[in-house]
Order: sequence, then C-alpha cells, then structure tokens
Amino acid sequence: MAATPLTAEPVAIVGAGVVTPIGGDLDAFWAALDAGIDGLSPIERFPVDDLRVGRGGEIKKLPLDSDLVGTPCRASRLLVAAAQDLRARVAIDATPARVAVVVGTAVGGVEELEHALHDDRGARRAAAALYDSPAHALARHLGARGPVVTVSTGCASGATALGLGADLLHDDAADLVVAGGYDVLCRFVMRGFDALRALTRDEVRPFDRRRSGLLLGEAAALVALRRLPDASQERLGTLLGYGSASDASHISAPDPEGRGLERAVRAALRQAGVAPDAIDFVSAHGTATPLNDPIECAVLARVLGERRRAVPVNSIKANLGHTMGAAAVLEAIMCLLASRHGLIPPTLNLDEPDPACDLDFVRGAARPARPRVSLSTSLGFGGCNGALVLEGAV
Amino acid sequence: MKGPALHALGFLSAWGAGVGVLPADARLAAAGRPVLSLGRPERDGERFRRTTREGLLALAAVESALEDGGAHRLAIAGDRTALVYVTAAAYAPSNQRFIEGRGGSIRFAETAPAVVPAEVAIELHLSGPYAIFLGGPPATLRGIWHAAGLIADGECDRALVLGVEIFEECEGLYARSGRLCRRPLVEAAACLWLEAGQGTLSLESGRDGAGETGTDLRRRLGETFCCEPLAALDSWRRMDRAGTLNLTGRWRGETARLVWTDPMPRPLLAATRREEP
Repeated sequence: MAATPLTAEPVAIVGAGVVTPIGGDLDAFWAALDAGIDGLSPIERFPVDDLRVGRGGEIKKLPLDSDLVGTPCRASRLLVAAAQDLRARVAIDATPARVAVVVGTAVGGVEELEHALHDDRGARRAAAALYDSPAHALARHLGARGPVVTVSTGCASGATALGLGADLLHDDAADLVVAGGYDVLCRFVMRGFDALRALTRDEVRPFDRRRSGLLLGEAAALVALRRLPDASQERLGTLLGYGSASDASHISAPDPEGRGLERAVRAALRQAGVAPDAIDFVSAHGTATPLNDPIECAVLARVLGERRRAVPVNSIKANLGHTMGAAAVLEAIMCLLASRHGLIPPTLNLDEPDPACDLDFVRGAARPARPRVSLSTSLGFGGCNGALVLEGAV
Repeated sequence: MKGPALHALGFLSAWGAGVGVLPADARLAAAGRPVLSLGRPERDGERFRRTTREGLLALAAVESALEDGGAHRLAIAGDRTALVYVTAAAYAPSNQRFIEGRGGSIRFAETAPAVVPAEVAIELHLSGPYAIFLGGPPATLRGIWHAAGLIADGECDRALVLGVEIFEECEGLYARSGRLCRRPLVEAAACLWLEAGQGTLSLESGRDGAGETGTDLRRRLGETFCCEPLAALDSWRRMDRAGTLNLTGRWRGETARLVWTDPMPRPLLAATRREEP
C-alpha cells in the first residue's frame, strides 16, 4: 500500500457477478430485489430436524458445471459460480501476475471440516478445511497469479475485502482485483446460530417492532476493481472509501452504543472525502435481531444528523437471509444497481417500524430514486465493524 | 511507502520465549513428536475461565510485546491503536470442538477467527482500525504491510500485528491432510508493535518461489505457519543489525517478499544492543 493520504484515490468497480438464493446471476438478483422476492425456504441439502429453525436462503441449484471447479467444496463452487457471472460481464484481461484475489468469509471451508470429521476421512477434505482454501480455488479458476488474500472479520468480511482490494490497487500490487465475499449454509453455522437463539421462526423483519431474529443465507458476490484511469466509462460505480474499527466490548454482541460502527463509518467517509450530508442512501446491515437494529439506527441517526429522516435506508436481509461473508458485497452491489436503475429496493416485512429505529426506511415497494453516494454498514462477531462509501455511475 | 519502526516484539513458541531459545534442529529436538504445544497460559479472573487457549495465547503474546517495549498496557489502549490479526489455522481447534459437540453449543461464537483478536481488544481496550488475514507467512507479511499503511495514512498512531498458531487439538487432522512433514508443527504466538518510522517498506508477491530466505531459522524453529516471519524479525533484530531487512514467506504456491529499510531506528537499536546479554 502506498502512502495514501487520508482521502484515498477512488477505485472503479468495473462489474460484478453473483450467485444468490434469489437469483443465479446479477440480472436475476436485481430483478428479484426490485420485485421484493423472498428467497427463504426450508433447507434441503442437510438435516435440520434437530434444530429449532430449519429455514434459510439456500441456493437450490448452482448454475455451474462441477467439472469447472474440481472440488466438492461448496464454498469454492459458490465462488466459481459468481466468477462465471463476473466473467460474462467483465474481461479479466490483465497480466495474470497482476490479477489479485481478495475474498472475505465468516466460515470459510468449514463444511469440509465437517465432512473430514464425520463422513469422509480422506486427506483432501481435511486440507480444504482451512478457511483460505476457497480463495485459492477461485484464483486457480481465474488464472490469477497475483496476491491471493483471505480476510475474516466475521459478517463484516465482505466490506473488509473490498477495502483491502482497493488498497492493492492504491499500492500498485495489482492492476485488476477480483474482490468479494462468500459463505455457505451448512450444519455447522445453522447449529451455531440456532444455539445462540438468533434465528427467527417468523419472517425476517428488519427494523420492525415485531422483529425476532435473522435467518441465514448462502451466496457469493464478486466485483472487479481497477484504478479509475484504467477503467472504461462503462462501469458499475466507484468505491470511494472504506473504514473499520473494533468495538472492544463483547465477542459476539455489538457495542450497546455502536461506538465501533460509528468510528468505522466516519473513517470511511473521511477516506472518501465525503461529508455526511452528501449521503443519498444507506444500505444498512439490518439483521432484524432485537439487539442490532436499534444500535445501528442510533449510529446512523448520529451520523446523518438533521437529515436522518430524509435519507432512504433499506436492508435486503429479508430477501436473502444473512449471507455473512457475502452480505456486504451484495449490499454494495445493490447500492450501485440502485443508482443505475433509479430504484431503491424495499425492506421486506417491515410493516410496523420500531419507534427506536427512527429513520426513513424504504418499505412496501421499490422507491424511485437515483442515489449518487451510498453508505453501506456491516457488523460482525468479534466486534468487527466495516463501512463502505460508494458512488453510482449515474 | 514510508516504513514503520519496529517498536517492540514478543515471540512465544513451544520452545520458549524469543528465538534465542530455539534448538539447533527442531526435528531432532522434537524427538519424534509431530506437534509441540504451548500449553494453556494460566490467568486469574472469571473472564478468562472459559476463554479459548488461542485467545489466552494471543493475550500473552501482546503482553510479551508490552514487556519488550517496557510499556504499560495503558500505552496502547484506545482508538489510535490498530490491531491486525493473522493466522492460518488457530480457529481449527474451536471448529473441531464445536463440530464434535464438545464444550456445548453456546461456544459457537468462539469458532470465528475474529474472536481471538477480540479477546485482546476487549482486555486491552483496543478500539482502532482492524483487519484479519488468514493464511501462512504471506498473510503475515501482508498484515505488516497493511498495518504500516494504516500508520502512514494517519489512521492510527501504532499498530499491533498479532499472529497465533496452535495445532495440538487437531493433530489427527494435520496427519491426514499431509501437513505433518519432516519438521514438527510448533505452536507459536507473537506480537509485533509498529510505530511511525523513517525507512521504506515494499511488498512483492508472485509465484516464482525464488529468493526464499530463512532456511536456517526454519530448521531451528519447525513449522509455525504464519508466525514464521515474526520469528525471522526477532532473529534479525537480535543479530544486532541495522539497514535493510528482507522477509520472504511462502504458502500454497504464493511467495511474498517484504523489503524493509531501517526497521530499527538508531535509538531503538541502541537500546536493544544494551539489553542483549
């Protein structure tokens, strides 16, 4: 990383590719968000009979020839599926040694560890259980021979990956960075969130007074990043800034006052060289847990100040479930697609806003608006907080 | 970019504290043991009763760096200290324990790699910028690079690069995955304290594998995954050198090379020389 000033050079987001429970590619993903499609369903891929909650955002069929991946690892397969979508839209045409891969994940290849411990005691699955394995599978698929980086800041991992991907360009460590995030639904993570009583038996209702928890989802989302002068005008948007901060308060619960998230947001705005009053839209973390939503809203209210009721806010986790490492990347892509299409997707199941969440939520139907500058917020286990400031190509 | 100054370094391994205690040959010294454990540090207080071994080792590494720097823990508290955590596999024991149903489901949160630096952040009140890199030695070099960038950009006044690797609980898995090689797996925990410096820092990565360094150190240390570059740093500063440091790390076919000029400013170097026996 070069000695970048506090305000960093913006980085072009040339294009994106995704695989999600509501759409197997970018166009289907956007169409489903616009239409308010709910992709949550009973989980079929592994047993859930012993869990309190057995629903989630499961991808029923991967749009992928398994021979392309060469591994049974579902995390790697999700990443390669998203990469196929990305490559259909963007040429990965830099010199291979100058193509970097940066991905974020909360649970990595942990499903391979489950297999290695239970039903397949071969060497390959044990080796694939390391969390950085899927990133290397993606690099092999892309033919990328530059840096291969895996980051894991809990459910803020996707935001971290985009921020560090931009750093690689600032530092001239690569000419093209494929950055993003992924995570799979597996028994490990379902058992864990079920045990924490974080999963709801009801609908996922971000910011609603009746909210009772989240549902998990699986997805992979990738973007291609280039330095602005190297990018064509036909881009999705621009990453203006990234910020991170630690809560230093609890290993699994957010800081009650959201101080870490606020520091991350203000750091991202500072790096972007953008004042809070320039924010046109906020894509909130919005997990629909009783704890997260009011804390996050209090932070956004402090940051937005008098404009707190004038800036549209949404959460797309009721569509997809919480896709963990992919969440922040999908939400960043959504911000840019909102700019492109002039529509902000609604927050599903938000019928009775919690009075403690006093912001201008987009609900009911997509709202016609063409945000130029968007803020996306993320929080994760370990008190990890991340924020992205993005500019749509309007 | 502008290079940081190596303010302090704590390095703990199954061999003991610092690289001065390393044997001449790890394989011979291990005497057939495939894994050498660092054990579980003892700590008083209810908060630590259920803390994972990797979390306690992380804290011990940071405290070792504080001791090395002659600093009280308050010197690093607050939002002007960045924390960068690196590991290849320290999360594996917690994951295995949860999958096997041991320790109770409530311990799920501990399976996240992010929880190890969180234990440090909570205990020492570190609320600044934050990053976690997963992988082997190249991840550590990238962590140093990232930390240096945060300092150079004014995002923090100091940065801690914390590495932890533990293996004991997953010895069977390592045996099956072919990770038990000629060198023993040696548990380690290390913390590098960086401050603003006057030198330069550059990082290159590629797949050529050329110019690898540290063979002698590796023979003495054993396999410590991400902690290896931090051991190399400790070794370098003990050799009473000034000037340019080259650190190389390899993992999964990737080679990363960090070139760091003047990591030990003269006053620090002089202090280190005085303390060496």
